Amino acid sequence: MPSLAVDNLAKSFGERRALDGVSFEADEGQLVGLLGPNGAGKTTLIRCLIGRCRPDAGTIEFFGRPLPPRGGRERLGFVPQDLGIYPDLSVRENLHAFGVFHGLRGRRLRERIEWALEWTGLADRGNELPKAFSGGMKRRVNIACGVLHDPAVLLLDEPTVGVDPQSRERIFTMVETLRAAGTTILLTTHHLEEAETRCERVLIIDHGRVIAEGTVGELIRQTVGSARQATIRLAHPVAPEVARRVVGANGHGQTANGHANGHSGPRAGGPTNGQANGHDPLVLHASVQSVAEELPRMLGVISDAGGEVRDVEVTSPTLQSVFLHLTGRELRE
Amino acid sequence: MNTRLVIEVAMIGLRRLWHGKLELLLTFVVPVAFFTIFALIFTGGVGSGRAAKIKTLLTDLDGSERSKDVMSRLADSEAIRVVEGRNAAGPDALDVARDTVVRGQATVAIVAPEGWGDSLRTGTPGKLFVLADSSDQVGPKVMTALVQETLGKTLAPPRPAGAPPGMAPNTPAAAKPPPVEVIDLFTAGKANPTISMYAAGIAVMFLLFSATGSAGSLLEEEENQTLERLLASRLGMTHVLLGKWLQLWLVGVGQVVVMFAWAQLVFELNVVRRWDGFVLLTLATAAAAAALALALAAACRTRAQLNAVSVILVLTMSALGGSMVPRYIMSDTMQQLGRVTFNAWAIDGYTKLFWRDLPTQELWPELAVMTASAAVLLIAARVLAMRWETA
Repeated sequence: MPSLAVDNLAKSFGERRALDGVSFEADEGQLVGLLGPNGAGKTTLIRCLIGRCRPDAGTIEFFGRPLPPRGGRERLGFVPQDLGIYPDLSVRENLHAFGVFHGLRGRRLRERIEWALEWTGLADRGNELPKAFSGGMKRRVNIACGVLHDPAVLLLDEPTVGVDPQSRERIFTMVETLRAAGTTILLTTHHLEEAETRCERVLIIDHGRVIAEGTVGELIRQTVGSARQATIRLAHPVAPEVARRVVGANGHGQTANGHANGHSGPRAGGPTNGQANGHDPLVLHASVQSVAEELPRMLGVISDAGGEVRDVEVTSPTLQSVFLHLTGRELRE
Repeated sequence: MNTRLVIEVAMIGLRRLWHGKLELLLTFVVPVAFFTIFALIFTGGVGSGRAAKIKTLLTDLDGSERSKDVMSRLADSEAIRVVEGRNAAGPDALDVARDTVVRGQATVAIVAPEGWGDSLRTGTPGKLFVLADSSDQVGPKVMTALVQETLGKTLAPPRPAGAPPGMAPNTPAAAKPPPVEVIDLFTAGKANPTISMYAAGIAVMFLLFSATGSAGSLLEEEENQTLERLLASRLGMTHVLLGKWLQLWLVGVGQVVVMFAWAQLVFELNVVRRWDGFVLLTLATAAAAAALALALAAACRTRAQLNAVSVILVLTMSALGGSMVPRYIMSDTMQQLGRVTFNAWAIDGYTKLFWRDLPTQELWPELAVMTASAAVLLIAARVLAMRWETA
């Protein structure tokens, strides 16, 4: 039985359909990434999940039991993107307040506060005010306030925004301990590499709909395919027919566009042959299924035509390729 | 010195002022509004030039032609407003007059005692009494002068034909005008009346300022998603509002207690003597102020908007309600207008306790008005806060 099951959730604000039949499931102990450009419907989805927005249609099930539009969310945790804590209360006072708000009392509350201080690595700073903390430390307090009551499902909205890589790593270590303990986590993030490396499954939402769902590997296979992207930088331009032979030899190549990362846009890997008009004549891009077989042949064509290769870069398709392919937009648009 | 740079810095400030409509309002409109309020307070109306009239009870126990004449002339005076319906005759009339002044329904009572008219025909004319409420520092003095002037005019015999101006008529009464005795009904063993009035006035004004400032935390919490988070827990909006109201109420009670404790320690206002009424009145006043602050916060969209609105409202209430200038110097209309403010009700209540020494039960109008206001404003805040609830 999934911890969280959303079925055909719909919500409109006037004429605008913020959610248009969103469906997905998340199993116990699973870390699910929720991606989507701004305005895609992520916030509305989260607000429906936490009971702050009444859906027009659809159901939300929590361990097989339908959730009412409001209330009944005692085992749900929510960590907002902004620092939703009291900066002028000490860490311990913040934890106490949010513990009480989530129904903890007495000994259990004290135990959970001590646990949270240890978990966040702030045991020796529990009596200090968060307003004096670094961004990463404030984020840790922010997360701790949302998990004190040991929720079965945790909604994490951009938990690492604006923090340095070291703090981000620390936060994900904390998140991992929750996941390992069986907490289902729905992570909203704009860091694609974060979702790619941390999440077991990814949910891409756009225009109020789930447009892709699965593991990163599944999404890549379903969208951009598993071909690698080869980027060849030349010392001087080669003749157009040579360029076409280099990329055309693989049947699905494309030519220079000046993008160093090899992903030219929403149709990366698409069948655009020939040296594109106005593109950098010193860079060739090609999709390759087998690097060992196809790359030597491509380099040979260039060499035979008197060309000189400066550099070769081969990259695997990423979640970013998938995202661009599906939405046609950068994540931060 | 590059003046272009200086001008640009100035222009940035002016443009920002132009874009900040609330700031613009505070800069240009609010001062004019306050000038208007104070002009109305001190003149009684736009362009009318009318001064406040002294609430006066005329008690004629004598009933002679002379006393009737004096009372009639006083009633016709522009300076007074005769308090009607309290001039009972008979053995209780003096008590009624005293009671009317003690309760603040009249600032002074002019009493012509029985036999006063007859005494004028003797060489030792009897006294005319002015029962005064000295919490009004102007009214009793003006009335005493007015009574003496009226007596002079009433009792002066007709001037002989052809007599030069300034020649005094040769009559016993004119030679020895009847004395006027002012009896202050309050001063015995009490601190200056303005102490309790200003302790209440200033306490309520700052109660309102601090309550509206603290209530702004509601808007901050909405802006930084703390409210979203609170409402995603077991808290409902009613819990949040009641919790904030309780906090504002407790702080408000503390503020008033500190203010009156200081008044007792330094200015010898005997607060402890009337602790029961003080507690009731303070609880009600702080409750109403806290509810008003919450309703304002719930009505405003941003903290800046709340700041602007609360400054305007609190200063207006304080000016009209008597926190800044005593209400007795205002015209009747302005005094009535002041009754819509908590300041006026609170000041009246504390004055009843510490100056007029009325029994605690007499506080019921103040307690009722402020408790009902607190309830209504809390309901208003709850209704306004619905916009933050489930969409």
